[in-house]
Amino acid sequence: MNKHILILVGLFVAAALYPMTPAAFITVGISVLLFTGWATSWNLLGGWAGQLSLGHASFVGLGAYFVAIGSSQFGLAPWWSVLLAMLVAAVMALIWGKLTFGLRGPYFALSTIAIAEILRLIAINEGWLTGGASGVFIDTLPEPMGIDLFDKTTQYYLALIYAALTIAVTIYISTRKFGYELKAVRDNEEAAMAAGINPTVIKLKAFVLSGMLTALGGGIYGVFLSFIEPHIIFNLLFSVQIALTVIIGGRGTIWGPAVGAALLVISGEIFRTTFAQANMLLYGVLILVVILALPRGLVGEYAHRLIRKKYANRA
Amino acid sequence: MDYVSFFQNLSNGVLIGAVYAMIGVGLTLVFGVMRTINFAHGDFVVIGMYFAVVFNSVFGWDPYLTLIFAIPLGFIVGALIQKVLLARVIDAKPETMMLATLGLSLVIANLLLLIFGGEPKSVQVSYAASTISLGEIRISVVLLFAGLATLAMISALYWLLNRTEVGRAIKATAENRLGAELVGINTKKIQAIVFGLGMALAVTAGVSLIPLLFASPVTTGALFTLKAFVVTVLGGLGNIGAAIVGGLILGVVEVLGASYLDSAYRDAYGLLVFLAVLLVKPEGLFGKTVKRV
Repeated sequence: MNKHILILVGLFVAAALYPMTPAAFITVGISVLLFTGWATSWNLLGGWAGQLSLGHASFVGLGAYFVAIGSSQFGLAPWWSVLLAMLVAAVMALIWGKLTFGLRGPYFALSTIAIAEILRLIAINEGWLTGGASGVFIDTLPEPMGIDLFDKTTQYYLALIYAALTIAVTIYISTRKFGYELKAVRDNEEAAMAAGINPTVIKLKAFVLSGMLTALGGGIYGVFLSFIEPHIIFNLLFSVQIALTVIIGGRGTIWGPAVGAALLVISGEIFRTTFAQANMLLYGVLILVVILALPRGLVGEYAHRLIRKKYANRA
Repeated sequence: MDYVSFFQNLSNGVLIGAVYAMIGVGLTLVFGVMRTINFAHGDFVVIGMYFAVVFNSVFGWDPYLTLIFAIPLGFIVGALIQKVLLARVIDAKPETMMLATLGLSLVIANLLLLIFGGEPKSVQVSYAASTISLGEIRISVVLLFAGLATLAMISALYWLLNRTEVGRAIKATAENRLGAELVGINTKKIQAIVFGLGMALAVTAGVSLIPLLFASPVTTGALFTLKAFVVTVLGGLGNIGAAIVGGLILGVVEVLGASYLDSAYRDAYGLLVFLAVLLVKPEGLFGKTVKRV
């Protein structure tokens, strides 16, 4: 048991009560929770394993498309489609990682962009597979035990469970050997190898887990949107958004992605009318501020100062 | 096989590739001395495009005439960006600076969006559809101008790098920053100069291309940033000659791919070649050092 679990339980209860408050913005809540989930999943690879991916929108798209096509063409229930999507995401991450983990630093980031862009072009051009550039509609969904999946409150709770799951996974990993192996690979690959760790295997595990969890969130996103357009869901800027959410919040921390998601989605809502389509301006400005003033991200910097203070008092 | 149309495509590919080369040379030059990939490079190209659009709509200037101002302004703004922003993170991990340029890219693209709106803009010139016949092959005047602008800029760069003291200092900094500092080169100044040169090259490419295509703030920038990555990685990052060849290859692959294979995948051909090079020979087609990157 550690304090993170207590915080998670507390936040979970608070968030579960949120839709009952009179002035609840449910859709904003869903966005915050989905971004928290994606960012936390991204963090496993990008923060803990230190591999900067700018292609995670592909996994969101994968999950969303599986749910949409599963329901519109095969009459498959969304939970089976999502499971299938997670399996495919795992295989995709495995192949993707095998191909690109030989590359380091900027080269890895560039390769993720290239692969994600190729997947986007496939989604747009292969109409028989994806419904093409015009997108796919979800018009009917089953009602398990009388629960309406089109209902925004239902979707809110699905997103909440998803976000909590990704954070719980991160907390679990942070206490396990795997968490230390991830950090070792991130901080110094040669030293990790000398300690008997196979960096490629560790990175692959992180990528597979990260991809699967991102696809799961993508499935919920598909139900939430109920209309999926390849231009939007496979967009490079969407991948950038996920990555920057974590970097602004704090890479390799447990709560950084959640803080980043809450900050960025909510301030995005506040400035929606001011900036209209130019809402990514906020990400640009914040990432510059973080890089120049808070290189560890908001949560990372906070934790760092807390530790310094603690040991300063002790000494 | 129809030879006339093949050579027609080839000449188009080479000319458009020349412009890609100019963009790629800027990126590779910056990588050489700063060891970072500039994600805002495509947005610099778009800045050039909008510069020409503004001068054309306000003063009615021909886009190529605006180069008189665009090149020096691009240089100054680029140098300022390096001095004010990137110089602060020069000693951090290369990834940090890459993220800084990514932030810069988002800021530039979205500011352009706020100022000019999302509607694509272009410049209409009277000679847009004019061609020069070379036997049976017709060469677009605009593409020819763009190719000539590239030739002029790259020749000037060649002269600067090989025949001037500043150029030698740039090459020394690219080869070994510490060593360059030890022999008395102000590498901070060199980095600012090089970033300025990179931006000037990108702006020139943007101005040269604007009669051919429409500029929209966010998507065009990302497109050209990707193209610049492809061009430079093809040849090997940091190698100017290789970036020129990489640009020509990309131009030809795109045009030939679009006309003989599926034109919907025009942008994918370059990316596929890019990915293949990255995976098989990450040091680039002409890279000499064989090491894990």
